[in-house]
Amino acid sequence: MNNLTVTTYFIYLPIAVALTLYVARILFRNARVFMLDIFKGRAEIADSTNRLFEVGFYLLNIGFALWIMRINYQPSGTQQVVETLAGKVGGFAIYLGFMLFAHLYLFFRGKRKASEAARHTTPLAPANA
Amino acid sequence: MNLNLLSYLVFLPAMMVIAVGTARSCHRNGRVWMLGIFDGDARFVDAINNVLLVGCYTLNLGYVALTMSLWEPISGWEHMLAALVHRIAIILLSLAAIHFTNISVLLVWSHLRAKQHAHQQPPQQQPQLP
Repeated sequence: MNNLTVTTYFIYLPIAVALTLYVARILFRNARVFMLDIFKGRAEIADSTNRLFEVGFYLLNIGFALWIMRINYQPSGTQQVVETLAGKVGGFAIYLGFMLFAHLYLFFRGKRKASEAARHTTPLAPANA
Repeated sequence: MNLNLLSYLVFLPAMMVIAVGTARSCHRNGRVWMLGIFDGDARFVDAINNVLLVGCYTLNLGYVALTMSLWEPISGWEHMLAALVHRIAIILLSLAAIHFTNISVLLVWSHLRAKQHAHQQPPQQQPQLP
């Protein structure tokens, strides 16, 4: 009886962690372009900021995945294990999707702010020269 | 009990194929539109496009998995067929709704962008001339 709960946990955990790693890797490989724009091509600070955000993303989402892992009933058989897993993994994937879009929005916002700042400062440069 | 598992076994791969196929076709064909919206900045468009593709995967497949957990107990073959087709229909309809929303967002955005360009182009070129 107790075994099925533990089995569910042990199937859920690798799936959730692998999903987080996959999504984070894709997101932050592509976020580099945004960071380079935000930090005006200074690759060193762009990469390290990107890395910092990536670590934050891992902490936040793996933490959430662990937090929602607990199930409060004993699955009665394979069917209920599959259903529980589907609910957990599906809910977590949807959460992850929203997290992804939230990050994308933040990057967009950062890029817009950076380009606004650049537009305000560039007219001064020809005047000084 | 077995019939429930069997219908999950049919449902999940079929929906994965459909969701992934839809997302990939969006990814492939949306690129041209996004190039228009972001002034042909291919590096940037590809970055956004890849992130959107993964977001599409997680949201759609997450929704597919979530519906699996809310499945009613299946009593016989007839019931299984009806339930399966009904669930597939729901997924297909929501995918269609998302798809058309995507298309209209792209259309509206590129329309706004074209308008903005029409306004911006004359003042931007004048200061460069002297």
